[in-house]
Amino acid sequence: MKSVLLVVFIALLTACSTAPYQSIDQIEASNSDVLAQLPNWYHQNLGLQLNGGNAYPDQTALASLLKQADLEFIRGNFQACQILLERAQRISTREPSVYVRLSYLFWLENNTRSAEQMARRALALVVSDTQASEEVKRLLVAIQANQY
Amino acid sequence: MKNKTPSRFKTFLSWLIRLSIVGIVILAILMAYLDAQVREKFEGKRWALPAKVFARPLELYPGLELKPKYLVQELDQIGYQRVPNVITPGQYSLDGNEMDVYRRYVKLYDGEEASARVHLRFSGNTIDGVWLDGQPVALARLEPLLIGGIYPKHNEDRQLIQLQDAPSLLLKTLVAVEDRDYYDHFGISLKGIARAMVVNVQRGGLVQGGSTLTQQLVKNFFLTRERTLVRKATEALMAILVELHYSKDDILETYLNEVYLGQSGRRAVHGFGLASQFYFGKHISRLSAPEIATLVGMVKGPSVYNPKRKPENALARRNVVLGVMHDQGLISDYEFAVWQKRELDVVQYSQYQRIEYPAFLDLVRRQLRSDYADKDLTSEGLRIYTSLDPIIQRSAEQAMSNRLASLESGYRMPKDSLQGAMVIAGTESGEVEAVVGDRNPRYFGFNRALDANRSIGSLAKPAVYLTALRSPEYNLITPLDDSEIKIAGANGSIWQPQNYDKESHGTVPLYQSMAQSLNQATARLGLQIGLTNVVQTFNDLGVERDIPAYPSIVLGAFEMNPFDVAQMYQTIAASGFKTPLKAIRGVTTQDGQLLSRYGYDVKQAIKTEPIYLLQKIMQRVVKEGTARYLNSQFDASLNLAGKTGTSDSQRDSWFAGFSGDKLAVVWVGRDDNESMPLTGSSGALRVWAQTFKDLPLKPLYPLPTENIIEQWVDVEQNAISSEDCDGAVLLPFIQGRLPLQTLNCAQEPAPSTGKSWWSRMFD
Repeated sequence: MKSVLLVVFIALLTACSTAPYQSIDQIEASNSDVLAQLPNWYHQNLGLQLNGGNAYPDQTALASLLKQADLEFIRGNFQACQILLERAQRISTREPSVYVRLSYLFWLENNTRSAEQMARRALALVVSDTQASEEVKRLLVAIQANQY
Repeated sequence: MKNKTPSRFKTFLSWLIRLSIVGIVILAILMAYLDAQVREKFEGKRWALPAKVFARPLELYPGLELKPKYLVQELDQIGYQRVPNVITPGQYSLDGNEMDVYRRYVKLYDGEEASARVHLRFSGNTIDGVWLDGQPVALARLEPLLIGGIYPKHNEDRQLIQLQDAPSLLLKTLVAVEDRDYYDHFGISLKGIARAMVVNVQRGGLVQGGSTLTQQLVKNFFLTRERTLVRKATEALMAILVELHYSKDDILETYLNEVYLGQSGRRAVHGFGLASQFYFGKHISRLSAPEIATLVGMVKGPSVYNPKRKPENALARRNVVLGVMHDQGLISDYEFAVWQKRELDVVQYSQYQRIEYPAFLDLVRRQLRSDYADKDLTSEGLRIYTSLDPIIQRSAEQAMSNRLASLESGYRMPKDSLQGAMVIAGTESGEVEAVVGDRNPRYFGFNRALDANRSIGSLAKPAVYLTALRSPEYNLITPLDDSEIKIAGANGSIWQPQNYDKESHGTVPLYQSMAQSLNQATARLGLQIGLTNVVQTFNDLGVERDIPAYPSIVLGAFEMNPFDVAQMYQTIAASGFKTPLKAIRGVTTQDGQLLSRYGYDVKQAIKTEPIYLLQKIMQRVVKEGTARYLNSQFDASLNLAGKTGTSDSQRDSWFAGFSGDKLAVVWVGRDDNESMPLTGSSGALRVWAQTFKDLPLKPLYPLPTENIIEQWVDVEQNAISSEDCDGAVLLPFIQGRLPLQTLNCAQEPAPSTGKSWWSRMFD
């Protein structure tokens, strides 16, 4: 199940991205160690609940930055990913998926304090979306329990 | 018998030899000392390179609200040239709603942007399309404005070049004008000295030096400007030593970077690299022959022949240099004839003739202090990328100086008696976008934004009401007692706060007490909820200084500076999520290696629900309370929130206000702490309004949670009501904190009577 989700996620990113990137095989090969650390519901959370389907937001500048950030994430370039997410935050300060992504980044870097705070920030922003809210709560609980 | 007594001559000779030996030893020691100095300077790092500080790079994308005039202003500031058709990087054109910007290559702390043609299409004041080299793109970044440097004490600034960067015409002209024998002498020119001596004897004093380029360099590097024979001799010795150790090219390259070529405010312009940018807005390799002549002409007297300050002198001197170029066969007869008539063509406005932002730079320097030594900042050529927004900064500066002047004339206060400070930050990012520390924004002195600690007055009230709303006993309509209050102090003094209108208002609902900034009700509330709890809320909001738990703190009888107030209000504006205010995004070495990054950090300091209610009240302050002036100035759909503050005897006028994306704190007062005929509403609020009047703001939507419910209530009776009941209003409450009573009407169907005035409260 986990591997199926991973493939779907990468395929989605590939389809959405306009930036130059490696092929799926290359990404999988070079990033299997990063991807292996991801929780199996990670892929569902990033876009599925937060943007009305597994898609990027409508605003093109925001979507472009999120796509680039996701690619850097898959490549394991967490710093580059974080910088892109901060640019996205400046353009759209209340986009919850930015904070969810930041939360994952910090979590994977074993910074659970920041991961939890980012998830809380996301939670405050998704209140009107019950399903997304549930997803972020699950993330929060998992971070607090420090369970991947 | 021979006389063995040595002759006087022999004695003299013997002493002469001894003295010569001593002299040679001293000279050898001196030479060794000078040699060490020369080698240390040349082989170590030759110059202290100040850190360069940059503003944010402007992100352009469809949907961005940006008036074309502001983009033009920014492009002018970063030294772009307006042309009918863009051809090379560094140019832009504007034709109706279409704009072309030929972006220069730019290196930032988080990557680089290639040189490219950026095409923009505007729809009114919004960008609705962006193309990069003809392809539609989601966003494009421009190069950031250079906003200042962190200089060593002598304020030297330079842009280093290599010898091959300089046009050969520049090198030939420089040698022809300053030191014709440069490639033949060994550091000193006997011909030059002889020529100078003749002139000096004729004029009866030291009026001309016979200095070679090497001597000039030595003088600038090691010696004073004093004209004495000892200094001259030392200079000659050192020049010889320099020539012994280093090649002519190496010496010439050092000279090109060292020579002083004028002043820009506090900054000393050194070297041809910076001078060509400063005076002509172009790289040294692109200088024209007349421009070369102007710069070479300045070497003789950078102040006297300054083309910006003394254009007539500079023009005459340039033509003299052109004459030398012509005599030496460097330019043709025709070129000489044409170029003599040419204007100086000095740029009036270039990236390198920059406006500086002293208050913001001061903040940058302080924030860097924990990670970098002062010496590193002033000598390593670091590149510091900040969050300053030049468009917002300019608007804030203009609003501050214009408004203070009009307040002085309107209230008949002495001219220049008022001072002000302002801090503007992104509500969520916590990035500082503008800082004003003085009504003269170019003033490098006392920075009121960071150092003016003043009583905050009613700006403290949100912390008091937030403390109440955090406790289960309070909601928006909890009745508060606004009757007179007297509190005995420990030393027998009596604290008796009064309302601004000197009236008591009986029982008032909590939200109204804050919207109307009632002092008596707030004082009673503060004592009811406990002063230590109020202090705790201040701390949670980000106030780090010690606040004593005295009753008067609830009315802001303690001091804070505008920056610290901004930190406190950032937490409120960001729904309880505290983000340390920061001015720096990243720091790199001179060649672009990332040294440190200052990323986004956040901590939930206050639960979202009480902050939601507080924001709702603060929106009321703007809608119908003490900040209602904003209503007449801004679109109501922005739902702005804020709080005015006036300290005792009207010594301080404050306003802290925020939209969905920007927070600004303004202080207005007098440096001598005298009272003014101004309140927060009539002073600081006006500066805030003028700052943002012309800038795009995003609407503020307080964030409810699932624990926030809307309930029909009767405010006057502090009871649950129903939509159909008379006087019912729909208000937000935290789950479980509804009024305890329920009106009978709410249990029985009743005819609808329409909404009372309460009903309009949270429309």
